Amino acid sequence: MNKAFLVALREYMENLRTKAFWIGILAFPVILVLMIVVPILLEKEKDVRHYAVYDKSDFLLDAVESRAALPDLNKVFLWTKEKYDEEDEDFESLPMFLQQSASTLSALSDKAIEEFSSLVARLYGPDGEQVSQLLSQISDEQIDAQFAAFGYEEITVSRIRGMLDGLDEIKSWWQNLPPEEAEIFGSGISKSRYQRIDVDLTGIDPEETLKKMLGDDKIFAYFVIGPDPVGTPASELAGETETESGSGAASDPGECKYVSNNLTDDDLLNWFKRYANAEVSSRRIAAAEIDAVDAKWIQRNVPFESKQISETGEEEEVKAQDELREWAPVAFVYLLWISVFTITQMLLTNTIEEKSNKIMEVLLSSVSPIQLMAGKIAGIAGTGLTMVISWIVFFFVGIKLIPVFMGRAPEIDFALIARDPIYLASFVVYFILGYLLLSAILVGIGSVCNSLKEAQNLMTPVTILLIVPLVAMVPIGKDPNGTIAKVLSYIPPFTPFVMMNRAAGPPSVMEYVITTILLIISIVLALWAAAKVFRIGILLTGKAPKPSEIFKWIRAPVGQIPERKKD
Amino acid sequence: MTESLILENVVKRFGDVLAVDDVSFRVNAGTICGMIGPNGAGKTTTIRMIMSIIYPDSGRITVLGNTNSEAVKDRLGYLPEEKGLYKKMKTGEILAYFGRLKGMNGREAKARAAELLTRYGLGEWIDKRCETLSKGMGQKVQLLATLIHGPELVILDEPFSGLDPVNRELMRDLILKMKQDGRTVIFSTHVMEQAEQICDYILMINKGKVVLDGTLAKIKSVGDKGILIDYDGDGSFLRNLPGVGRVNDSGKQAELFMLDGADPQKILAALVGKIEVRRFDLRDPSLHEIFIRTVGGQSDE
Repeated sequence: MNKAFLVALREYMENLRTKAFWIGILAFPVILVLMIVVPILLEKEKDVRHYAVYDKSDFLLDAVESRAALPDLNKVFLWTKEKYDEEDEDFESLPMFLQQSASTLSALSDKAIEEFSSLVARLYGPDGEQVSQLLSQISDEQIDAQFAAFGYEEITVSRIRGMLDGLDEIKSWWQNLPPEEAEIFGSGISKSRYQRIDVDLTGIDPEETLKKMLGDDKIFAYFVIGPDPVGTPASELAGETETESGSGAASDPGECKYVSNNLTDDDLLNWFKRYANAEVSSRRIAAAEIDAVDAKWIQRNVPFESKQISETGEEEEVKAQDELREWAPVAFVYLLWISVFTITQMLLTNTIEEKSNKIMEVLLSSVSPIQLMAGKIAGIAGTGLTMVISWIVFFFVGIKLIPVFMGRAPEIDFALIARDPIYLASFVVYFILGYLLLSAILVGIGSVCNSLKEAQNLMTPVTILLIVPLVAMVPIGKDPNGTIAKVLSYIPPFTPFVMMNRAAGPPSVMEYVITTILLIISIVLALWAAAKVFRIGILLTGKAPKPSEIFKWIRAPVGQIPERKKD
Repeated sequence: MTESLILENVVKRFGDVLAVDDVSFRVNAGTICGMIGPNGAGKTTTIRMIMSIIYPDSGRITVLGNTNSEAVKDRLGYLPEEKGLYKKMKTGEILAYFGRLKGMNGREAKARAAELLTRYGLGEWIDKRCETLSKGMGQKVQLLATLIHGPELVILDEPFSGLDPVNRELMRDLILKMKQDGRTVIFSTHVMEQAEQICDYILMINKGKVVLDGTLAKIKSVGDKGILIDYDGDGSFLRNLPGVGRVNDSGKQAELFMLDGADPQKILAALVGKIEVRRFDLRDPSLHEIFIRTVGGQSDE
């Protein structure tokens, strides 16, 4: 049997017994699981924020709650529809009126459901009573007209007939639903995340009561809403500013406060502010006597639609696959970098260990330095490939099993990676090529050093070189066919990382061919140089040579330790 | 008689240092050859060239009848001065591995490893990792690794260094056993006494040159006879005895060399009474003495 193969086999078997190898293999599934599970758990386990509100305006709190209920209710209805359509058993656990509404919901478009949610949410708000009464008194045609006046385009009495009578029931069910139970409708339900505590604020100093509650940790924060957050239109104020400036600043009727002992987590504040602002601005629009339709028109954003040109030249929607492109290449570059670096580090340590163990010379009496070097590189390549391939296996098993265990699909659609061979195939190929190039450098360094400490000095420039693709990773990910990306692709030590980085681009076939040829040429050259350094270096004891010396060895013909002359 | 090893005008230079300077010698098959010389004399370099670990700048080396020693590597056994084992490998595995590297097949190497370990009292260590072996046991395993494939020519670089007396004796027995088995043994040492005990053939090297070369008997017969005494007492007067030239005094043992025409009996008479003489032996000079004389006392010893 070939001796290099024996060396490789031994190297492989020995690495299989090391802890580092198993840690390397198992670290990946652990990270993968964490990447998928932690966001889900974090979302689930986000602390419930209790808060209280001292509302001097007497309308803003109701309005905020009404507005906040809209997205929640929308989720509830969509969820109901989905479970009904899927004939899921969870459906049975819903309250009866929701179950009864399901067939009606199922027939509605998502937009109609949103409008319906808004209708229910409106019942919540300051004018809820009026709307409720109005709807019960007028005829179907009038209701439809009223819907149109509300700005609803999709819902009509005939479409939501089944649910119209249950409106008040839905409202009171939602109002009285314990926040914990609202969680079943999904992770984004704000009702379960932000819970308002009703506090009796009729005392002499309501703010003092709230401060005390905050001090006792009964609430996370409290809001104080000024008596008149809407205020007077600015045009009417124009003449009065000077007269008020004397005393007015301290008691601005629009002033609101958010008090919390944790100002770094501002989720609650932002959530509340969003709805409060929406309400106040709609009231201001009304106060300024701007037509509601005009107001809507004023507030409408410029619609930018994200499109891309497909390969056939047509415009198409951005797909999930494209979202994947934002992060998948970066993740793969990281993995590639880590795996190549760990494995070549293993080669370096092994070579140095063999040298300091004094076993080198015994080996050299049986195998030639080149066989030894080739065997070592191959053995460790085998170790690395085993690791990388087991990662891929874990990955495939993981994307199948995790949704089963978690009861829901991960936020990130990993299956898309599995379906697109550009990631996995180039990962394996670039792992091998990147490893071979780096291994030539590290085996050379390892052969001339007697201790890891010595090796670190020589490693510094290599490490600095290798940091470049990591630094360039994000910019290249954003612009995979940009100038930096293209230039770096042609520099062999960076080729594997940068080309992996550009996988989403993807680079042209020509680029793949040229960079790969360049890379292979430099691998051959590097291995040739490494072989020359290796055969001299491994027998060297004492001080490690300077880089200049090493270059001299490389430049010298194989005659520095010349071949025996034949007579 | 065939020659296992022939070196002809071998030269090796490391930068400005001439490590091996025009060395030529022959070693007959089935003999034990001691390569002696001080540290830095070029012994290890010569051995590495024989093993084709490094190559000579000029000259020719013929190992087992072949000038391309790569081709005969599998028929050689080599124990370098700096020797080690893979700490994490099991004793049996590492022996089998070396056997396989020398071209044995897997099963054969494994069986032979077990057999050797058992024969040399390490049978129960076969499944233990090398890091658990004592130093002496480790050295034994290393020596077995050089023998596992039944080499025709065994080269041992400083095999006795660092061994305790028990293991030194074991090493000596092993070397003699190799000779009985028909193997050629070349070993280097800077301790002359060891070479003197077991070598058929001596090769003395100093500063890269062969300074003496021949059978032990031939080398010894060339020098003047000396007197070896074992004694107790203060031997400081020995140097001033009439008729005595050089003295190698080790405190309890001394080698005296007579000036021309001196009478051993008179010397004995002069000793009696001053020191207690336990042995008085008129004999060939020791290798040590021969070495000192040959290199003119310039060695590092």
